[in-house]
Amino acid sequence: MSEPVVTLKSFFEQAREGRLTGIKCGGCGEIAIPPKQFCANCGARAWQSVPLSGEGTLASYTIIRVAPAGHAADAPYAVGVVKLKEGAAIFGRIVDVPFEKLAVGLALRFRPIVVKEQTSVGFAP
Amino acid sequence: MRRVAVIGVGVTKFGKHDRTSGELFAEAAVDALADAELPPGAVQALYYGNVVGGETEHQLHTGPQAASILGIPTVPTTRFETACASSHAAFRHAVMEIAAGVSDVVLVGGGERVLNVPTAESTEYFAYASDASWEQPLGLTFPGVFALVARAHMAKYGTTEEQMAAVAVKNHKHGTMNPKAQFQKEITLETVMKSPYVADPLKLYDCCPFTDGGAAIVLASEDVARPRRRAVWVLGTAAASDSMLLGDKKDLSRVMATERAAKAAYQQAGKSPSDVNVVELHDCFTIAEIVATEGLGLFEPGAGGIAAERGDTSLGGKVPVNPSGGLKSKGHPIGATGAAQIAEIVTQLRGEAGPRQVDGARTGLTHTLGGNTATVLVSLFGRE
Ligand SMILES: [Zn+2]
Repeated sequence: MSEPVVTLKSFFEQAREGRLTGIKCGGCGEIAIPPKQFCANCGARAWQSVPLSGEGTLASYTIIRVAPAGHAADAPYAVGVVKLKEGAAIFGRIVDVPFEKLAVGLALRFRPIVVKEQTSVGFAP
Repeated sequence: MRRVAVIGVGVTKFGKHDRTSGELFAEAAVDALADAELPPGAVQALYYGNVVGGETEHQLHTGPQAASILGIPTVPTTRFETACASSHAAFRHAVMEIAAGVSDVVLVGGGERVLNVPTAESTEYFAYASDASWEQPLGLTFPGVFALVARAHMAKYGTTEEQMAAVAVKNHKHGTMNPKAQFQKEITLETVMKSPYVADPLKLYDCCPFTDGGAAIVLASEDVARPRRRAVWVLGTAAASDSMLLGDKKDLSRVMATERAAKAAYQQAGKSPSDVNVVELHDCFTIAEIVATEGLGLFEPGAGGIAAERGDTSLGGKVPVNPSGGLKSKGHPIGATGAAQIAEIVTQLRGEAGPRQVDGARTGLTHTLGGNTATVLVSLFGRE
């Protein structure tokens, strides 16, 4: 039985509905972003799916002005790493924040970004 | 384990070429074999770096292709892909093949061609080195990754955009002394500071260019290398990885893989940071050089920007960094970069670097980083 507790597919299906799902290590209590098999912190393989609040603070950010071909129409846009209240950190698009208000430590909340079939992680005030 | 030496190096001119990555590598390899005074028939294996051949040239299986163009189609070849660290990873494995006694002469190198496609396309292909489920769909770019590192470093240590700009000015100055460099033109601090943002706080002149080019080095066992006066010895070579996802990295102001690889390489070599006389490191962005000088132990955490501004890393400074011009000015043909850095350090340790020579250099270090900071290789070299 080596099927992960949360797969990428199930994570993004939940994310599409506005729910952020993490995994919690039964060995050391580490909260991680799926999918993972062993815990990089303690080596255990005892994950449990846990709902994450989606609330956190901005650890670092940038405004992408020269975008890859597939995102050129969106530029400029802000992305960053958000440290969640529960401990894990996650990369996402930052929306509804004027660029000049972006700052390390800014409080943000998860908001899914859905473009056609693709769901990805976003954060808003 | 047997000792291993570099006995030949070759690098093409970096910049825009009308030839394929395989042709560019083969040109560099001809020079490397001539430098080693060996015929092609002496080569027992090829370890090859190439990254976006599948995208820009519709070419996979680039190892045997490169060997065929060079004219050694029957030697075993393997293509390495660790993003921008590919040919440094190839080098480490080639060193192990010789150290283990499997071969006596191994060719290492890389080739890359990207200037045949538009910038928005190459920006996208380079972004393939970040995670396809979590990061690529959000439009993360390569400059974007290091912009996050820069912002975290600025927030933690007060590093300034001027300090980052000082790295660009310094590497462009060094590049004027390298006839193989893509740019051989000095720039001013003002040029950097007034250039447009690519991914805040990184501006156009904080970024290395897209580059076509090839590089090759000939490695040999002690028996082959011993009679050669210009042999440069591999004192240590180490690789380290870090979490693929940006969110999983413990501290965005540091590159943990650099710290781990450096520790292992210094240990193998029996050297410490203060023994190093000359460094070629991965300045894909100016902040990357600052963080690398800290991770390699050349300066304290947070002191890298100050050191660059003070001239400690300039030719004639405390520890010259990127005398070749670095990726910033020499250029960054990603699959060839690691081998090209080694070629520069070998040239420096031989005392053959001309106007950019670091006087009396006896111990040199190369550092190559892959993509989103998840791969780093560090190697140390010395003269007898
Ligand atoms: Zn654990």
